Amino acid sequence: MFLDLLWIVVKILLIVLPLMFSVAYLTYAERKIIGYMQVRCGPNRVGPYGLLQPIADAVKLLFKEIIIPSSSNKFLFVIAPILAIAPALAAWAVIPFGEIDVSTTVAGKTTTTQELLVLADIDASLLYILALTSIGVYGVIVAGWASNSKYAFLGSMRSAAQIVSYEIAMGFALVGVLMAASVYQIDPVTDPALVGKSAINLGVIVKSQSGGFWHWYWLPLMPLFIVYLVSGVAETNRAPFDVAEGESEIVAGFHVEYSGMAFAVFFLAEYAVIILISMLCALLFCGGWLSPFEGIPHLEEWFAWVPGLVWLIMKTMFFMFCFLWFRATFPRYRYDQIMRLGWKVFIPVTIVWIVVLAAAIAYELPPWFDQV
Amino acid sequence: MDKNLIIQIIFYGFSTVLILSALKVITARNTVYSALFLVLAFFTCSAIWILLRAEFLAIALILVYVGAVMVLFLFVVMMLNINEQPLREGFIKYLPVGILVAVVVVAEMIIVITNGFGAITEAKASGLMVTSNTKALGSVLYTDYLYQFEIAAVILLLAIIAAIVLTLHHQTGTKHQDPGKQVQVKAKDRVRLVKMDTEKVE
Amino acid sequence: MLENYLPILVFIIIGIGFGIGPMMAGFILAPRKPDKEKLSRYECGFEAFEDSRGTFNIRYSLVAILFIIFDLEIAFLFPWAVVMNQLGWYGFISMSVFLGILVVGFIYEWKKGALEWE
Repeated sequence: MFLDLLWIVVKILLIVLPLMFSVAYLTYAERKIIGYMQVRCGPNRVGPYGLLQPIADAVKLLFKEIIIPSSSNKFLFVIAPILAIAPALAAWAVIPFGEIDVSTTVAGKTTTTQELLVLADIDASLLYILALTSIGVYGVIVAGWASNSKYAFLGSMRSAAQIVSYEIAMGFALVGVLMAASVYQIDPVTDPALVGKSAINLGVIVKSQSGGFWHWYWLPLMPLFIVYLVSGVAETNRAPFDVAEGESEIVAGFHVEYSGMAFAVFFLAEYAVIILISMLCALLFCGGWLSPFEGIPHLEEWFAWVPGLVWLIMKTMFFMFCFLWFRATFPRYRYDQIMRLGWKVFIPVTIVWIVVLAAAIAYELPPWFDQV
Repeated sequence: MDKNLIIQIIFYGFSTVLILSALKVITARNTVYSALFLVLAFFTCSAIWILLRAEFLAIALILVYVGAVMVLFLFVVMMLNINEQPLREGFIKYLPVGILVAVVVVAEMIIVITNGFGAITEAKASGLMVTSNTKALGSVLYTDYLYQFEIAAVILLLAIIAAIVLTLHHQTGTKHQDPGKQVQVKAKDRVRLVKMDTEKVE
Repeated sequence: MLENYLPILVFIIIGIGFGIGPMMAGFILAPRKPDKEKLSRYECGFEAFEDSRGTFNIRYSLVAILFIIFDLEIAFLFPWAVVMNQLGWYGFISMSVFLGILVVGFIYEWKKGALEWE
């Protein structure tokens, strides 16, 4: 019992520590990539090519005073960063990172089956992630209210309204993914790990995309894919949807009063969510750990040795790059334009595509929805 | 340790938190604290539902109540800006109504527990467990319970209309942007090219 | 099924720990030299005239109400999307009616200008 618990903790740390490392170097990549896009050098003083910059930043923040404003609500002020980071990390519990071969020998006969590489193997994992990302808004609201500062309060209200608006478009996009994945028939012989699961499981969604990169959902679900990606950017309050931070008008938004490690925790949460959304884009729309060369003669064999996790990380990194790319490219949206995009463009687009998809599935449109 | 014992420990732990946080909801002086304790109550409630193996409903509880309803509550509470509410104001005045509501709720709970739960047996529940929770729910909700399902849609429609009628006040003097018009603008509508003779230096 | 939820419980606890840990470290390691001006809330240079938790635009709460309704709609759509293949035309029509009723509501919002941000 105790050993089981210890093993769970070890597995969680195996997810969280690389995640923290990725967050640190995502900030470095962000500054470096945007620097190059704007013909600057980016950080290049600390260590070779500035590679130690994130560590220097972390140490600096660690030794900065945490200021708790006298007019603030002290307890909620301290609680808010925790409310932001706990769901941002806990959502990673159900992410499948790939498949592992498990050989079982029964009566001298060895059969190899595949199992998902996932910490918590629950059925409704997609719903779980949607629920946990919707909780992230509490950190923002509580921080803005507890600070008792006009800038923080305005920033948190704007940010909260924006997050909830885009969550709807995100949810509708996920409905489309579920519909497409519900076509997949789980084979109990080759996939015993998926028996008793439904299309709401991330593992089933990835498996249902197998058969080459044109089977991945970015193609048949193209509008939903774009809606999901853009909503993901808006959910995390990233540029060009960063009016909540709007440094030229409300200084930094909801975390204007936070300093030192309290600020760093917000920062960690924001970047953990960025990486989470990038990985979800890869899992839901780009085949997850599946090889992009599946079904292509010669190339498939040449790249067969590459583990699935590598493909997943490469796809995730592409989407992370997109987040940085958007920030370097687009000017900031105005607030009424953000709300318009979320409510008047994305929601109608997703509803229409759900109807189109339902028709496509009903008529078993090949090559994606033909049932074997 | 026995698996059932662990489940019981977890159940009692969550139940204690649930009851305590529910008590704090009605006793906390600050309304924002009350709302946040209600969030905690929903959380522990969802954990208990998971212990009852109602996976989909438990996560949907968090999605809908914690993720949406409580966000609205917090918005409203923050908007009203009631920092410290006098605790027992009008306690006597509202006591009879309160007791009446409490009696009705208790009576309903007794009726549900005595009648409804007898029909659910362990074997019946375990039969559902073979298939996916979401699938089991979906396979009956849209066919056997179609009528209730469509009623839910009408209630939601009513909620949309009521919310708009109650809260929508148009401000005057705001400028709207019509992207359709903006896109359709042609250069000749906005720019006039004027031919002028070049001036000659004398 | 329940044992699959144990890692999630542990993960939430560790997630909270990852919030508390750095802040504790910050409180212990960082200097603490508070003074009145430093602890005053962020402002443009003047003392704030009033408490900042004032009333704000009602539109935010309208957005929140509409969000609840659409969130519920998503919660209803999820199980349907999972089983739509087995339900056949019957399930398809029942969901069409449901979505149709809500699209009416959506059009009402649109025409009333509730989605307009002023």
